[in-house]
Amino acid sequence: MAPAPGARARQAAGARLAQPPHENWKYLDHAQIAGRGFGLAPRVAVAAARLAPVMLPLAAARRIVLVDGSYRRELSDADPGDGIEVDDLSALLGRDPAAALRMLREPGDDADDRYALLADAFASEGVVIRIRANAAPVRPLYLLHASTGSEPCASHARVVIEVGAGAVLSLVEHFVTLGEAPSLTNLAAELRVDAQATVQHLRIHELGARHVHVETCVTELQAGSRYRQQLFTLGGGVVRSNLQLSLAGRAAEAWLTGLFMVDGERQADLYTRIAHHGAATKTYQSFRGIAAERGRGAFNGRIVVHPEARGTDASQTSRNLLLSPLAEINARPQLEIHTDDVKCRHGATIGTLDAAQLFYLQSRGLDPATARGLLTYAFCADVIAGLPLPELRDYIEELVVGRLPDRDVIRSLR
Amino acid sequence: MSGAILSVRDLRVRAGERLILDGVSLEVCAGEVHAIMGPNGSGKSTLTGVLAGRPGLEVLSGTASYLGRDLLAMPPEERARAGLFLAFQYPVEIPGVNNVYLLKASLNALRKHRGEPELDAFEFLNLVRVKLRQMQMDESLLNRGVNEGFSGGEKKRNEILQMSLLEPTLALLDETDSGLDIDALKVVAEGVNALRSPARAIVMVTHYQRLLDYVVPDRVHVLAGGRIVRSGGRELAQELERRGYDWLRDGTAAA
Repeated sequence: MAPAPGARARQAAGARLAQPPHENWKYLDHAQIAGRGFGLAPRVAVAAARLAPVMLPLAAARRIVLVDGSYRRELSDADPGDGIEVDDLSALLGRDPAAALRMLREPGDDADDRYALLADAFASEGVVIRIRANAAPVRPLYLLHASTGSEPCASHARVVIEVGAGAVLSLVEHFVTLGEAPSLTNLAAELRVDAQATVQHLRIHELGARHVHVETCVTELQAGSRYRQQLFTLGGGVVRSNLQLSLAGRAAEAWLTGLFMVDGERQADLYTRIAHHGAATKTYQSFRGIAAERGRGAFNGRIVVHPEARGTDASQTSRNLLLSPLAEINARPQLEIHTDDVKCRHGATIGTLDAAQLFYLQSRGLDPATARGLLTYAFCADVIAGLPLPELRDYIEELVVGRLPDRDVIRSLR
Repeated sequence: MSGAILSVRDLRVRAGERLILDGVSLEVCAGEVHAIMGPNGSGKSTLTGVLAGRPGLEVLSGTASYLGRDLLAMPPEERARAGLFLAFQYPVEIPGVNNVYLLKASLNALRKHRGEPELDAFEFLNLVRVKLRQMQMDESLLNRGVNEGFSGGEKKRNEILQMSLLEPTLALLDETDSGLDIDALKVVAEGVNALRSPARAIVMVTHYQRLLDYVVPDRVHVLAGGRIVRSGGRELAQELERRGYDWLRDGTAAA
């Protein structure tokens, strides 16, 4: 077991981060992040009133709040019931360190875990959430990650979510900043979904323009489980999402969809690594990216089909739209297939708005700004239309439209 | 200028390196229906395209005026707002933009330009429903993406639906008849005929005479090699149907 958190882990993390650049981290400027010399975030008290304006309109949800990576019981529904158990990680480490460490995944040796290692070394705070077998909480679970951003600093957090066999969970994760100071949040999250369980996972990055957020989300799916994640990266100066999903059990299925939008000098860097281990497992990935102004985006999607994963069905698409000549998006699918009995499809496109479509709309009397806005909105419309929680659809739609260059025009048409 | 809606003078147009129109002149007056026929590659679609403002076409010389205005100086959306409508030969699919959004945005853009109030949702829907029935189109098409997954015939009907809703002063129909079965052709022809009025003009580009059986033109022009090589009444279309285009190619006797 790794001596986490501890000095040895810190040394290891330091050594790992000092290694030469790796292709899977090509688009994240680590030197620039390290160069800011962030100190660890002090514990700051936050009043509930300060959170109210940034919260999602999810009145019925059970709420769990992390501030700068630490679980805040006083701001959360500490005992949500319905088969949900919530534990403060730091309290658990004090009470039963062996049990806590068993639950925490040890980061691996490969480059993908660089920041997870850092979290392992520094994070003694976080939350452990367990959903009892066959529980089916009616209300969604709302996990709010708030970064105070009152001074430049870094916070590392660990989140462990275990969903028992046959349970059904609707989970919403929301990342916000309360202050404007440039800061770093580093999240190492683990989601373990037991056999036949179903998880609906909505993740929304709505961070400040000077904020750096790096996350390593490791998800493991057991036999017959179903997992659906919808990711919206609509804010943050630099957001690096590192999604590692393992289909461990037979016939597990996962759908991952998402949208990132970068404008100004923002960067979004999405990396997915899908490992098919179980036979007859199925994954579907569909991601969109929009870059305006000097925004930069990257999608790096890796699918590994292991020899034992016969009958795997995997598909991946990445469609990207550039709205300015200075914007940049890189898309790179990577397939590693070690068995014959598979069905794999992938496709990646990067382009600008279609000139024929623009002319068609203009020939119907729409001015170029409206035409561009409509086409940009159309590019991500189906990602929004597929949202599972109807009460959030308008909110997300407004977040997306609010980031578009011709937002007023598009609002007027809705 | 009495009654002239469109007046094209000696228009020369290039697409990339290729000269497509080499001196086209055409005058279309209020109340008239003109047919422009010609073999493939003769420049028919370029002519309607340049009049509607399609990008990628370069006007080398000549003029085109619409209701006395310099048409070529107007951006495409201004031409549309001033009452010019192009029914596309290949209407583009725009997934994610609802058909009904486009119809509403389009109609209101034109109404605003004319100083008329925008229609409210109720008035708009009633109007669209009437037009849908005329075009024998299913209401479910309204909530689909623009032309998304439409059959060839549905796309052409959708063009005529837009046209009948926007009630243009000058309608340019680019091979609207191609790819239509006979029933769809009749529906489309009825849509075009319904638009005929003393205040409007229609220019139909077609490869075949078939559409002209249902929408009878006042004038027929033959475009070949980038020029109008012959003009006449509807009997010219019938002659073309009998003799093909080859007899005109060599003669190049401009009418």
